[in-house]
Amino acid sequence: MNIGLIGAGGITHVHIPAWLALGANVTVFSLEGAAESAAQYGIAVADSLDDLLGACDVVDICTPTPTHYRLVERALRAGKHVICEKPITLNTTDADALAELAAFVGKQLHPAHVVRYFAEYSLAQSAVAAGQIGEPAILRFSRIGEFPSWAGWFADEAQSGGIVLDQMIHDLDIARWIAGEVTEVYAVKNSADGCETAQVVLTHERGALSYVTGVWGAPGTTFATSFSIAGSSGVLKHDSRTDASLRFDLGSPASGGHSMRPDTSFGESPYLTELREFAAATLGGAAPRVNLDDATRAVELAAAANESIASGRSVRVASQAVPA
Amino acid sequence: MSAASTPGAPPHPLSEPGIRPLRVALMSFAHVHAAGYARLLQTMPNIELRASDPDGGNEPGERRGQDLADDLGVSYVDSYAELLAWQPDAVIVTSENARHRPLVEAAARAGAAVLCEKPLATTLEDALAMQAACDAADVTLMTAYPVRFSPAFARLRELAGTGGLGTLLAATGTNNGQIPVGDRAWFTDPELSGGGAMVDHIVHVADLLDALTGLVPVTVRAVANRILHADKPEVRAETGGLVTIGYAGGFVATIDCSWSQPDNAPTWGGLTLQVVGTLGIADIDPFAQHVGGTTPDGAVFLAYGTNTDALLLNEFVHAVRAGRARQPDGAAGIRSLKIVLAAQESARTGEVVSIR
Repeated sequence: MNIGLIGAGGITHVHIPAWLALGANVTVFSLEGAAESAAQYGIAVADSLDDLLGACDVVDICTPTPTHYRLVERALRAGKHVICEKPITLNTTDADALAELAAFVGKQLHPAHVVRYFAEYSLAQSAVAAGQIGEPAILRFSRIGEFPSWAGWFADEAQSGGIVLDQMIHDLDIARWIAGEVTEVYAVKNSADGCETAQVVLTHERGALSYVTGVWGAPGTTFATSFSIAGSSGVLKHDSRTDASLRFDLGSPASGGHSMRPDTSFGESPYLTELREFAAATLGGAAPRVNLDDATRAVELAAAANESIASGRSVRVASQAVPA
Repeated sequence: MSAASTPGAPPHPLSEPGIRPLRVALMSFAHVHAAGYARLLQTMPNIELRASDPDGGNEPGERRGQDLADDLGVSYVDSYAELLAWQPDAVIVTSENARHRPLVEAAARAGAAVLCEKPLATTLEDALAMQAACDAADVTLMTAYPVRFSPAFARLRELAGTGGLGTLLAATGTNNGQIPVGDRAWFTDPELSGGGAMVDHIVHVADLLDALTGLVPVTVRAVANRILHADKPEVRAETGGLVTIGYAGGFVATIDCSWSQPDNAPTWGGLTLQVVGTLGIADIDPFAQHVGGTTPDGAVFLAYGTNTDALLLNEFVHAVRAGRARQPDGAAGIRSLKIVLAAQESARTGEVVSIR
């Protein structure tokens, strides 16, 4: 399989090794850093977007959020299947337009909501779906890391959607995956000195309530995630800080474990699992566990949360199931 | 650990000769904490304890009144009038949440300092009347918020107070417990408890945030549901809730107040508070200290954390001896009650509620 990868930022350093491990040929195109990527991974470089589109079957878009719409559009119009990093777009209007285009050209568009591929989340979802804790009632999700200062666009809310759309969208998607469709969103946010944190409360159609919080914290903040899912007959919990199979203390503050991503080195990379599922689908295999509608709904939840933050009021989420 | 039990420490001030015993009266055994307070007071020096529980004994299977006093080895009288005629220096009110007011008012009229179980009341009117009664009688009113005395919270306060967390941005609190059915039926009767999980479990975290930040809450938004324990017919109020509080200056906090600790869990539940600042993040889990494991009966949780009830009672006794108010006082109880009442209103109306 020939993959045309666009971008050379942080996420490409997990996507490229995953593609290579899957036996794919990777060509990279990026406005910056393509040569370094090519040198590091021994992959080909395309000199232009057209060259890239001419050299691949599937396009993997790993660029800043505001570029997603145009790049996905170009790739779909070129007749390629597309994998695109989350959030799929900055708003649902753009996401809907891309869904229409994908259907029109008959190509697949897969959103890279990788948290669905992390074993702890996937296990929890399966357990809840199997009824192991009864009806979900109160859910909490937390995601903490340092402020993403490695690229300037994250700090510009117009480009990234801020922490809610860029980071918390993962857990908004997971909450909806586990507890079902959402009818109402309320959110608050606070930021100072290069730190940003938000808190979102979701009311699900079936009655469950979810709390999602995200922190972009001080430099050096250790990446950490946790969740608690209380249901009518039990509780499921996970905390990356305590449920780890390796912890070390090397005695030096400089060796702190901060990272922009969780350590997934003890098992198959969830990025690889994700890309394999997408790749198999493009070859006619089963539909992946996350689809474009999920991605659009996640953008809708994040946009509703940002609207609630701006207005100070809760926001009703429009009912989805009304096809003309 | 009390000063009296520390080798080399000066003698406990209350055990010094010449100081007359402090008379402490326990009004009502309705709250499950009454027995615990009685046991702790019995271990404290120079205290005479007497109790009355005239309203007890109506619920089948609940050990109340003279029977419970006998179990505890506490001197007992049949009426509150008799109890107050004994002229106690201090009164601890552990009646049902909605029945605090008449007992606090009577205690104040009798000139006794008051420690009232949380929540201070179930209506703002009652709480203000209780405070006014204590002010008029010039007696101390304290609210039973023991978690304030947790050493973990003390360290958090110190860290935040010295700027170690930078500017405080946000907090997430949880106070999840097993549903309080079984021991005392009134806990799930809104007429007597004032509500469900929200009235039971918002106040502790709200009080910690009050003590930690000193910030004024301005908006409260809450949602609640009754999915947990839906199979228990005796439960007549919300069992799960999420409460989001906006404070003056932009600080935000969300509290999960749900009764989500399963009935078969090895411990009652717990409380956590995570505080996010611009220099770092701090987590406290005051009830985390335990030895865990498994016995033939299942998982076990052998807790060994600080007994914060003992520290609270110690503070109260010292306040009475010194004749002055200590924290958490009645005003603290009123501030956190306002958050509960706003949360109940928000959950009922679906609106964001402003508080003053």
